[in-house]
Amino acid sequence: MTTRNKVSALVLCGALTAGLLAGCGSKNDSTNEGNGGGQVTLRMIESLTSPARTELLKASIEKFETANPNIKVDLISPPFDQADNKIRTMLGAKEDLDVIEARDLNVSEYVNNGFIDPLNTFADSWSDYASVSAIAKSLGSVGDKLYFVPNGLYERQLFYRADWFKELGLTPPKTWEELYETGKKLTDPSKNRFGFSFRGASGSNGTTDAITLAYNGDNVNLEDSMFTKDGKSIYSTPEGKQAMELYLKLYKDTSPPDSVNWGFQEQVQAFTSGVTGMLLQDPDVIQSLTEKMAEGTWATAPLQAGPGGKALLAAGGAGWAIPSDSKHKEEAWKLISFLSSPAENTEFSKKFGLIPIHTSATEDEFFKSGPYKTLLDMSNDSAHFVNFKPPFQYPGNGQWGQLVQDSGQSLLLGQTSLDDTLKKWADFWDKQKAELKK
Amino acid sequence: MNNKKVFILSGLLPALALILAFTYYPFLKGIIMAFQDYKLFDLRNVHFVGLDNFKAAFKDPKFFTALKNSGYWVFCSLILQFVFGLALALLLRKPFRGRGIFQGFAFYSWALSGFLIGMIWKWMFNSQIGVINDLLLRLHIIDERIGFLSNPKWAMMSVIIANVWYGIAFFAIMLLAALQSVPADLYEAADMDGATGIRKLWNVTLPYILPTIIATTLLRAIWIFNDPSLIYGLTNGGPAGSTHILSSLMLDKIIYAGDYGAASAIGVIMIALLLLYTIFFLTVTKAEKVGDF
Repeated sequence: MTTRNKVSALVLCGALTAGLLAGCGSKNDSTNEGNGGGQVTLRMIESLTSPARTELLKASIEKFETANPNIKVDLISPPFDQADNKIRTMLGAKEDLDVIEARDLNVSEYVNNGFIDPLNTFADSWSDYASVSAIAKSLGSVGDKLYFVPNGLYERQLFYRADWFKELGLTPPKTWEELYETGKKLTDPSKNRFGFSFRGASGSNGTTDAITLAYNGDNVNLEDSMFTKDGKSIYSTPEGKQAMELYLKLYKDTSPPDSVNWGFQEQVQAFTSGVTGMLLQDPDVIQSLTEKMAEGTWATAPLQAGPGGKALLAAGGAGWAIPSDSKHKEEAWKLISFLSSPAENTEFSKKFGLIPIHTSATEDEFFKSGPYKTLLDMSNDSAHFVNFKPPFQYPGNGQWGQLVQDSGQSLLLGQTSLDDTLKKWADFWDKQKAELKK
Repeated sequence: MNNKKVFILSGLLPALALILAFTYYPFLKGIIMAFQDYKLFDLRNVHFVGLDNFKAAFKDPKFFTALKNSGYWVFCSLILQFVFGLALALLLRKPFRGRGIFQGFAFYSWALSGFLIGMIWKWMFNSQIGVINDLLLRLHIIDERIGFLSNPKWAMMSVIIANVWYGIAFFAIMLLAALQSVPADLYEAADMDGATGIRKLWNVTLPYILPTIIATTLLRAIWIFNDPSLIYGLTNGGPAGSTHILSSLMLDKIIYAGDYGAASAIGVIMIALLLLYTIFFLTVTKAEKVGDF
């Protein structure tokens, strides 16, 4: 081989490698400073990505860009499953990001790692802030500081088979005890029909927490909801035990045996395919229920209360936050306040199936009827539906779901006793609390 | 060093750099993380903790369930995949009308992703709305629905069935290729010696394709051992942790606890086990034959 050939072979080799790397990398033209004329490009990343939602976001962003010609927004939409990891990695690597979507379950992690800034100074001078509901403010706060402005709220309610209820002359259950009784009447295994769409696999702590909170009722410390007002775990009280006894009965007498290993999909599928008559879920299932079930076959009712007549309710969701390393915080806030304005947020919530963050939105006819009505009824009846703060500030909160799934399943399968399980759960939270205080 | 060597080396350099950056750096980083307190919740406080992650793993009863399940999972899946794969390959060896189409159908499962297969089998195994229970009920083979994925007695077996279905195609493809390379004159000679079908299989076919068998089973065992996707899609390790294997337990530590230290410790244990397995396997099967195909 001649020297020339060798050199060209080497150049080709290097070029191929560089090309390969460039091709695999993502587009990253971080010319954030813009092109001189005061033009700013904001980089924004979403977490709860779905094609329909990304479309809605893009439409809103376009409106924003038209109103603010000197700001351009670059929206990054990673697939939902990897989104939070991607955001976390980008924040950790101090990549240019100006607006991120933080979630209730990871916001304290971001705060703890110093990734995001409080928004209070911005919010205080924001004219629309007054109509943001207390529940939305509480969702976006860690301690007494606001870290993200929610883009909509998820709240649990009961979905039930209106046609089956009519057939048997039943009314929607108001308490967990009634839920059980109603479930028993609906259950007929020979017809493959069951009362309750139970969920024993991932996400099962949604049910155990809800029923135990309702049973502990007034005694729950609403700011630190895994504990009672005198600092004991809600799973260690006699009321907590009563609640879990009912939970066990709910599985044994009103639910398909298979549901011990059901997650979100199976739970919803069982309801839409006519196996189960009652389902506890968030408003994001409304769309699929509307698609798969005939009109009039299903309806909604508020979340069930405990013996004290109170149901404890939390709103979940995600929203927009500003990374500490952002170089365009003013512009980022401009975008956030635009997306969170009553007009934009209400439209977004309507189209995607969420509860809007502004109290003024409840005037909208759309939310006064159908499946959303019960959600607003709950919000308006704070005497019976008490808002609590989920324990997202604890680092171990993610493990909690896993612990309840594992030990809850062995409880349901009769491998461990209720007392042992409750002790394990109470110990878990005592340990979390002790570690947090350190 | 002469010019030629310099040239070869610099030609290899980009590829070497890529391998170092994307294979060995993560590998080393993983080993280092196994000795660190590395939690997503507290990234500003990453520090070395000695053997704590390993101690925690060995104290966890779930780890031993997962270890036992891993053995069971690899052994049963591998044997059944191999036997059915070999049978399929033998059936497909002789040409017949529509063989190409039939091959396509028989091999397509290999083209699906593990998560997707998990989803498909999850719905088929569902006791209320699943097709398997429905068929068994209609054929009056069972009177009561079986909770394939919810009954700890059935769950491990169910995930293995799904895995066998998935992996048969791999063995069939590899073994078929090997079978087609067996020279026809060997069979002619065997015929002249009056060998029967079974005899030919045992004394001609199998010895000839033995190197392929060794290489594929070795590889496949490692893949089965390492791949959590099917278990994740099907049972998520449940009910009550009864279907966790080591790799799915490792994933669990990351997804639920954000604990990369604990996950890496399990990863390191897995590497050690695989190393032992490979040494053992290559020793008993006389390694020099393996590269021959």
